[in-house]
Amino acid sequence: MSSVVLKNVTKRYGLHEVVHAIDLEVTEGEFAVLLGPSGCGKTTTLRMVAGLEDISSGEIKIAGRRVNDVEPKDRQIAMVFQNYALYPHMTVRQNMQFALKPQQLEAKEVAARIDEAARVLGLEPLLERKPSQLSGGQRQRVAMARAMVRTPKVFLFDEPLSNLDAKLRSQVRVEIAKLHKRLGTTALYVTHDQVEAMTLADKIVIMKDGNIEQIGSPEEVFARPRNLFVASFIGSPAMNLIEMTVESQGGRAVLKGAEITIPAPSGAAGKIKVGQRVTVGIRPSDLHIAKPADSGPVYDATVDVSEFLGTEVLLDLRVGGAEMTAQIPAQEKPAEDQAIRIAFDLNAVHLFDTASGVAV
Amino acid sequence: MTTGRVRDNVVTYLLVALVLIVFMTPIYLIVSSSLKPAPIMFSRPPAFLFTPTLQNYYDLFTMRPFHLQILNSLMAALGSTAVSVTFGSLAAYAISRVKARWMNDVAFWILSTRMFPPIAVVVPYYIIFKSLGLLDTPLALIIVYSTFNIPLTVWLMKGFFDEVPPALEEAAQLDGHGVVATFLYVVLPLAAPGLAVAAVFCFIFSWNEFLFALMLTGSNAQTVTVAVMSFWSSDAIQWGRIMAGSFIVLIPGVIFVLTCQRWLVKGLTMGSVKG
Repeated sequence: MSSVVLKNVTKRYGLHEVVHAIDLEVTEGEFAVLLGPSGCGKTTTLRMVAGLEDISSGEIKIAGRRVNDVEPKDRQIAMVFQNYALYPHMTVRQNMQFALKPQQLEAKEVAARIDEAARVLGLEPLLERKPSQLSGGQRQRVAMARAMVRTPKVFLFDEPLSNLDAKLRSQVRVEIAKLHKRLGTTALYVTHDQVEAMTLADKIVIMKDGNIEQIGSPEEVFARPRNLFVASFIGSPAMNLIEMTVESQGGRAVLKGAEITIPAPSGAAGKIKVGQRVTVGIRPSDLHIAKPADSGPVYDATVDVSEFLGTEVLLDLRVGGAEMTAQIPAQEKPAEDQAIRIAFDLNAVHLFDTASGVAV
Repeated sequence: MTTGRVRDNVVTYLLVALVLIVFMTPIYLIVSSSLKPAPIMFSRPPAFLFTPTLQNYYDLFTMRPFHLQILNSLMAALGSTAVSVTFGSLAAYAISRVKARWMNDVAFWILSTRMFPPIAVVVPYYIIFKSLGLLDTPLALIIVYSTFNIPLTVWLMKGFFDEVPPALEEAAQLDGHGVVATFLYVVLPLAAPGLAVAAVFCFIFSWNEFLFALMLTGSNAQTVTVAVMSFWSSDAIQWGRIMAGSFIVLIPGVIFVLTCQRWLVKGLTMGSVKG
């Protein structure tokens, strides 16, 4: 059964529409991530699911129940906010007690839930501290504990890691993944960080300008981006994109542009026509220094800049008239301004119609 | 220490001393005059060394029912403070949270009533309270003082409520708390310094107020400010008793400010530095 269903959901502020008739299903136990740039409507969508924003049209169901007109407190959800939203004048324990107060549970039950959440999230030594006495990572764990004690049907996360530094972010990300694995509760998570999305999600929902661009697993959106926006948004470093034109050469379709020629991938043969403007996408990790055994296309390239990242190196290359980035193992690092030859597997090439942006 | 820094310190301390002299001289005069016997009250040169006497304080409580007048002032001041802080903070919360264009007009109208000159409304109030049978009662003063204190409270508290992140209220809302519980247990505690500031200002204004107390009260509800001035008559000005009464009028305000000093400083400077 789908735990969260959005059907034709639209949000308008006056005459300005910010979310355009989106459809989404999150199955029970699934960790779904709404991913997109600032202003794409992901937080608005999350807040509509939470009931903190009214929906202009459409329907939202949680655990099979229509919740359009249901108060947030009755939707069986719990939310972790970007800025933690911990009550600063209450201790960690009191924060959790206050969250449970409306449920009018027995004191024993309240204590048991708080102790369990504290144990799971490593908060036992911190229960009598106030939020101002905690680090950012600790505060975020308290926010998760406060959500956890309510035993909701759906967890909502609104960019919970964006206020943390890089190191803490990866630590708390692991905490969130462990928590989800342990509890198995449905989660809807909003972020603009694709690393969070790729590492946490069972399902990624990529949004842009109030529309859903693609829904799929991390592997799917990485390997088979549906359009140029998804292709350039997912993957770090970003996909190399070169505008080319389809031409015929010796009876075969080739892609020409930026002073280079690429044979059209065999899978695209029937889908493109001569004269069509296409954008070729190649991921930096699919480029490698050419070896004698390479059977695919090989091109001369000049290294403009190399960035050492420890186990790998990013090379800023000039290939013909195109600028490309390659991601190669650190031990293969060439010297800067050195002329090298690069190669790639044609099957790793992505093709998009330049006019519409849609994958071919 | 460099010469420049020494000079800066000297200038600073001189300025502080000057300010202290300006503010403390009247208080010194009040206290010393209240303890002086009448013959040396206006001696030239002024008598700095003398045998103090409590006769003026004794006369204050025996020639007038001063303890009842203190009680009247306390009732009016505390009553007005309670009413103003309660309704003012509720109004300020609504103004802070309801995002509508007309709310700015409402807020401005409320604040504008604070700017109204009291002398312009004292006669209408007299007529209203006379027709309601409320003349010469503490309730009349509580009502009048509240009309001036509520706008002040609204203006002060709105700023504090604006500082409380809406996410805290959304978190409480998601937990299942209603508007009242959220206001009482989440928002109000965080705006407590503002409440302290508002309470102090409301109390001091009400306690020190003279015009309305003079016009709207008689023998039953007379306040200390009017009672002190009753020793100033066309026949004689009883300086010693006036000074003794003035000192007693000073005390509650000083106690209030000293008690709430920590919150006052926090409340008046909150938001001035990003932190």
